[in-house]
Amino acid sequence: MCGLPFPTDENVLIGIGTADDAGVYKVSDELALIQTVDFFTPIVDDPFDFGMIAAANALSDVYAMGGVPKTAMNLVAFPLEKLGGEVLREVLLGGIEKLKESQTVLIGGHSIEDDEFKYGLSVTGFVHPKKILANQGLKNGDCLILTKPLGTGIINTAIKGGLASESTVKMAIKVMATLNRYAAQVMVNFPVTACTDITGFGLLGHVAEMIDGSAVGVTIYSSLVPILPETVDFASIGLVPSGAHRNRKFRQNMVNLRSDVTPIIRDVLFDPQTSGGLLIGCPENQAKNLVKRLIDNGVEQAAIIGLVDDNIKGVINVE
Amino acid sequence: MSKIVDARGLSCPAPVLMAKKAIDDAPQDSSKDESIDEIKVIVDNEASMENVSRFLTSRAFNVEVLQDGGDFKVFGKKDGSEKVLKSESPISKHSQSTEVSDSHKQKILVLAATDRMGFGDDELGKKLMVSFLKTIKEMGDELWRLVFVNNGVKLTIKGSAVLEDLLDYEKNGLKIMVCGTCLTHFNLLDAKKVGETTNMLDIVTAMQLADKVINI
Repeated sequence: MCGLPFPTDENVLIGIGTADDAGVYKVSDELALIQTVDFFTPIVDDPFDFGMIAAANALSDVYAMGGVPKTAMNLVAFPLEKLGGEVLREVLLGGIEKLKESQTVLIGGHSIEDDEFKYGLSVTGFVHPKKILANQGLKNGDCLILTKPLGTGIINTAIKGGLASESTVKMAIKVMATLNRYAAQVMVNFPVTACTDITGFGLLGHVAEMIDGSAVGVTIYSSLVPILPETVDFASIGLVPSGAHRNRKFRQNMVNLRSDVTPIIRDVLFDPQTSGGLLIGCPENQAKNLVKRLIDNGVEQAAIIGLVDDNIKGVINVE
Repeated sequence: MSKIVDARGLSCPAPVLMAKKAIDDAPQDSSKDESIDEIKVIVDNEASMENVSRFLTSRAFNVEVLQDGGDFKVFGKKDGSEKVLKSESPISKHSQSTEVSDSHKQKILVLAATDRMGFGDDELGKKLMVSFLKTIKEMGDELWRLVFVNNGVKLTIKGSAVLEDLLDYEKNGLKIMVCGTCLTHFNLLDAKKVGETTNMLDIVTAMQLADKVINI
């Protein structure tokens, strides 16, 4: 998108220029709008599950900015003759389920006929202009906290190959359909320095965005990173989505792997996530308390996975 | 037996699945020279090249990759295979999995498909099973995998008489695999306290890689 003449004005607080999760536009000194949109092709077989996952994924960007979602619109491209109306209805019901859970209202949408099914939402949320959480802002000594386990890209690849066990598929769907709302509700009561959600670039790709061009680096402790069951097994037999390889190629010049970190774990850390968790930066003296509060509020797999360090500026060390 | 798989024009995971099918569909009796001991997989993107290399390594093939224009030829060859499949020189060698490199030590897989040992008296059978799992450590580090399926998964849950022993084994590096389908069937997914929830493909792969499989 580089070089295009995007229009802008002084109320754009976060625009297309940064690699942030959503755009933010100041309405008044008390209120800013967060806007985001996301859609994709089905990743699981069950239409209701797919609807829930697509909605949780679209809502996530608002939470990652420290905001609260308010309104949403459906985006649908659907092969009506091939799949039939009942499938679409199930997908939309799944989406509505998550909108209700997030207390977001659906106020419209648009659908077209298309050979390949795609579904997603545009979501608008509110945030106080002084309480926006950008993806940059990490400080030396901060801890990084991840709120969902990794592995959904690899597991989706195994699902395509018919190799994932029923229990693993179930767990991956549950993780992907879980709103980042509960993590966000806890997070906003802490002195968070930066936040993003883990999606297509994988954990290390998003960490790279958090520190790229900044004065700090990050050490990731791979043994502390929560990973979904079977993910490592699938990665070790080569069921790694091409997106993980792309993510690695794009960012490998920033990443130092300690010699005992296997290529398999490295690929898991670069695995593109659908509706992944929040990655939260927070001063070390608050981090344990934040994790405890997250777990108490149902974000069961939240864990401290890394440390911010200004001695390794612009570098991600993986141990 | 050797085999060539052309997976050009395909993206992940299709090339890995095609290679897997080629190997799995061949008869597995290596003494009759019908199992695949050499395979060449042609792909046209780097991601597939890396994935196929990794898959073949996980199946104990030695892997070499040759770049040919936009294509990658991934050669897999099992130890002891004498035939020459290629004449070109390789550009890279992928290291084998360390698990298969230790040649003097055999790998024993114990498959526990029950929570009681033998037939006759169930009370006795349960006691024997406990005793068996406590004694199995005498195999030393040749004990490579402990796999629980069917009623066997009940030994891995809260309250199992051998839970402490299994946790100890796991802490000492033994990989314990617990059948996910079985846990789901008995509604014990949340009750499982030790081992890695696994699937049939992993179990079958582990059996293939093991030097000895003991079925209880």
